[in-house]
Amino acid sequence: MNELINELKLKVIDALNLEGMTPEDIDDNAPLFGDQGLGLDSIDVLELIVLLEKNYGIRLATPQEGKEVFKSIAVMAEYVAANRKK
Amino acid sequence: MTKVYCTGCGVVTPVGDTPEAVFQAVRTGRSALRLYQAGPEPYVASLLSREGFDGPSFFEDIAVKAARKALEQAGLEPSCPRVGLVLSTIKGNVELLDREDVSLAASAARIAAALGMSTPPVVVSNACISGLAALLQGMRMLRDGAYDHVLVVGAEVQSRFIVSGFQSLKALSLQPSKPFDAARDGLNPGEAAAAMVLSGEKKSPWELVDGAVRNDANHISGPSRTGEGSYNALKYLLPLVNREKLAFVNVHGTATLYNDEMEAIALDRAGLLDVPVNALKGIFGHTMGAAGILESIVSMLACDKGVVLPTRGFSELGVSRPVRVSAQEMPTQGSEFIKLLSGFGGVNGALLFRKGGAQ
Amino acid sequence: MKHVTIPSGADLSALYRQLAGDYPKFFKMDVLSKLGFLLTEMLVADEPDRFRPREDRAVLVFSREGCVANDRHYAATLADFPSPALFVYTLPNIVTGEIAIRNKYEGETSAYVLEKYDEKRLWALVKEAFQDRITQSAVVAWIDCLSDTAWQAEAWLVTREEILK
Repeated sequence: MNELINELKLKVIDALNLEGMTPEDIDDNAPLFGDQGLGLDSIDVLELIVLLEKNYGIRLATPQEGKEVFKSIAVMAEYVAANRKK
Repeated sequence: MTKVYCTGCGVVTPVGDTPEAVFQAVRTGRSALRLYQAGPEPYVASLLSREGFDGPSFFEDIAVKAARKALEQAGLEPSCPRVGLVLSTIKGNVELLDREDVSLAASAARIAAALGMSTPPVVVSNACISGLAALLQGMRMLRDGAYDHVLVVGAEVQSRFIVSGFQSLKALSLQPSKPFDAARDGLNPGEAAAAMVLSGEKKSPWELVDGAVRNDANHISGPSRTGEGSYNALKYLLPLVNREKLAFVNVHGTATLYNDEMEAIALDRAGLLDVPVNALKGIFGHTMGAAGILESIVSMLACDKGVVLPTRGFSELGVSRPVRVSAQEMPTQGSEFIKLLSGFGGVNGALLFRKGGAQ
Repeated sequence: MKHVTIPSGADLSALYRQLAGDYPKFFKMDVLSKLGFLLTEMLVADEPDRFRPREDRAVLVFSREGCVANDRHYAATLADFPSPALFVYTLPNIVTGEIAIRNKYEGETSAYVLEKYDEKRLWALVKEAFQDRITQSAVVAWIDCLSDTAWQAEAWLVTREEILK
């Protein structure tokens, strides 16, 4: 799981152009959206949906589903581990 | 200030090539929205037939066709150096991205040349409010004395480029769109061209009184939660509106969750909840660069006929404010209407139209 | 009137760190928006109350190419997974929105496309924009991006008095 968490952090940093950030800067359990944590927005949710499909073959139908999955890197990693198709 | 009149209109749409035909389609609920299977995901759109077309640019072709109709109705010779051209589009020839110079400027120059115009065009590209911003630009050119007549042309053709983008934003509906409805779930792309000739000569009863463009200063793709820009654009017009003569507000009504809610909030803040509201995108989809001009042309005709047109796709109010959405056609004595639009980049626009005494 | 330029090919990330540094959304922008953002920083950095919301300032951005450079980036993602983050920048006016969001400019914003840089026409259009009775000043820019590394980028901060004199 730790390996997947680290992999996800790297992919999120790259996909969302989080300039200057390293995996160490992202707390596994910190919220990705909202004013705390990474402060990501609605376009970032959509880009993360693409990230899941591209890398793990997971298709989310709506941004609302995404908001659940993208609560934190730890939640995201659990979801990916349980649902990945590649 | 110079008064500005609309002296000619032209349209090219999937539901008809005259304002009257489009008006009848809206009135009777005859929609051009169809399910298309092209590309990796299906989508519902209102598209023009390309049968028999073999020119270099379908986009420029429909823009020129709509422009010629408007010029003809206005009885205007386009080569006159006192006639200006404003083009409204978002993506122009983007479907030819791999092959051509797709600059909107190059398209505008070719459209001007095809029409035989002698003055250099300007393109206004303000996302989904482009058509309204282009009309406002045309009004300003007349008021500035730069021209005696300005041809304003808006056009959009759909392509994998645009459709895939809206799919990636999860903004498209797989059913005909339902503006302001509780079950709305997205927009439908539409193709159309629409043109107006604006003039300082009072050859028509329809006056474009004034307009405003305002930014939400909030988010590049999400509408403001307080309707800031849309409200501010409306606020600019309110002192000019004769409330007892205001027939309706023709809203943007894309049928995305956030747009329609935002417009409802803006209408509430502007004190316009008692005014009938309608949206036309359930008939011909979101025609993007053409929308502001096309929807204004249909709205002028509706006022001429004394009706508030129905909002196809609407049945149960699905916004937080009690907006008076016209589900059915209603009679009106009104002689003014407001056209309202919003778009990416946080832009919002409002334009006031008024029908004066007979010419 | 104040006038600033950014030379073609300049290191925009370095310029951002020098001029702003507190706005990570910068790195998500396309090059057109980055240039608009930085030009405006250069124009208004020392204004008093610069982040107070205001409706009296317009943002008017002119170009020939619009956002064609970013259109090509987005089109390159079409073959497999279209990128929503690139798609939202495929509109010539997003740069005006980014400037408005950063500086809380709630006034008119507009993107114009001209066939070439034409000083006379550009300033005629700016003058016409001041027909809006609320507009008292404007950020005016010519930003023409041929690619991510080649552009013309200059901007002016103008007032109603300067334009209508």
